[in-house]
Amino acid sequence: MCVGLAARVLNIKNGIALVDASGAKREISAELLDELDPGDYVMVHAGIAIAKITNDDKAETDAIMEAL
Amino acid sequence: MEQVPAKNEMASHSPAWNIITSYNGPKVRIMEVCGTHTHEIFRLGIRHILPPAIELISGPGCPVCVTPVSFIDEALLLALEHHVTLCTFGDLVRVPGTKMNLADARSSGANIRIVYTPLDAYLYAKNNPEQQTVFLSVGFETTVPAACLAVKKAYADGLTNFSLLTANKTMKNAYRALKRSANAFLYPGHVNAITGTALCESLTQEGISGVITGFTANELLTALAVILTKTKEGRPFFYNCYPRVVTQDGSKTAQSLIAEIMEPCASEWRGLGIIPQSGLKLQPIYKGFDARLRFHLPALTGRSDPACRCGDVLQGKCKPTDCKIFGNRCRPEHPIGACMVSNEGACSAYYQYGGNL
Ligand code: SF4
Repeated sequence: MCVGLAARVLNIKNGIALVDASGAKREISAELLDELDPGDYVMVHAGIAIAKITNDDKAETDAIMEAL
Repeated sequence: MEQVPAKNEMASHSPAWNIITSYNGPKVRIMEVCGTHTHEIFRLGIRHILPPAIELISGPGCPVCVTPVSFIDEALLLALEHHVTLCTFGDLVRVPGTKMNLADARSSGANIRIVYTPLDAYLYAKNNPEQQTVFLSVGFETTVPAACLAVKKAYADGLTNFSLLTANKTMKNAYRALKRSANAFLYPGHVNAITGTALCESLTQEGISGVITGFTANELLTALAVILTKTKEGRPFFYNCYPRVVTQDGSKTAQSLIAEIMEPCASEWRGLGIIPQSGLKLQPIYKGFDARLRFHLPALTGRSDPACRCGDVLQGKCKPTDCKIFGNRCRPEHPIGACMVSNEGACSAYYQYGGNL
């Protein structure tokens, strides 16, 4: 139940976003996030977007290993 | 049952991989707080590349697993004696109560609906005003905002047939309670997406170390490499290895929503007992949405199967395979304890991936 899904925003209207999570389309609440646009990536938990994210883990981990 | 490690997803011979596989320092115990970490680590085959000095243990980060038996008993009482409609996440339906689970209650005619989000429970209540609807509100900081949003909407609509049975939990005091179980925590990244990094950063002053990490092969290997490197330095440490999701401040909107609707309380964790200030209950202004008060529920003491060692599993005191009934009397299709129910449960992960590591 606690699994978060990374999803891409397809469109957004009145605080409800249609997202694509690995091919599955779903409507979620986007009320916790300001300034969300189609094409943005979000982390979804229990039907609401909890954070805006970037979808590139490689750049993230490369930077961490370099700083180590 | 043995899975082939998903090595193609792992950057073998990356700097992180090399740090891990060449580790020859003292024994390090690392606790995966989050059940999804446990599953991903198994699925990716990461356990297969660890030298013996690195021990991974499972922790209490699966909300279904830490919910005590008495909560299921309360839910059964609501469904069978108060005839409410229970809305719940699917996993909870198969968690054993003292005498039966919610799936058994459904077979006896109880009205139990599986929902994807608490907002669906709120909508069901709104569309069925004659029916008392109770949402089984379990989960950590990640799930609480959705439950709070449902209550806020129900309050705005003046609904009198919607309530929550709360068992929500917050992580900080659980880390403190488990301080001696591990050398470092793999902090659950999505909890920190809400709380920010300050929560775990401040724990270093209490001698508690850990890194926030995500769920991909790159992220998990990097987090383990950081733990091994920092452990060698000999001081408590904190590192955010998941900056693409977790910021220093977290979600201010979610934090203020939670503070508006809920307040901290003592909470019972399966296996860990009652931890002060580790739970959330509704603020006085929203107490009309508290199912315990609405239905005058008595205090219940649940009883789990005496053979079940979920409590020890959740504290890293034993492996699922140390439980005498693992894989025989207790299996995913017939779970005896909560850790075998959910996909995030440690016993279910060990069963699914071979139970040999
Ligand atoms: S194997 Fe089953 S009974 Fe044993 S600890 Fe795990 S969930 Fe409990």
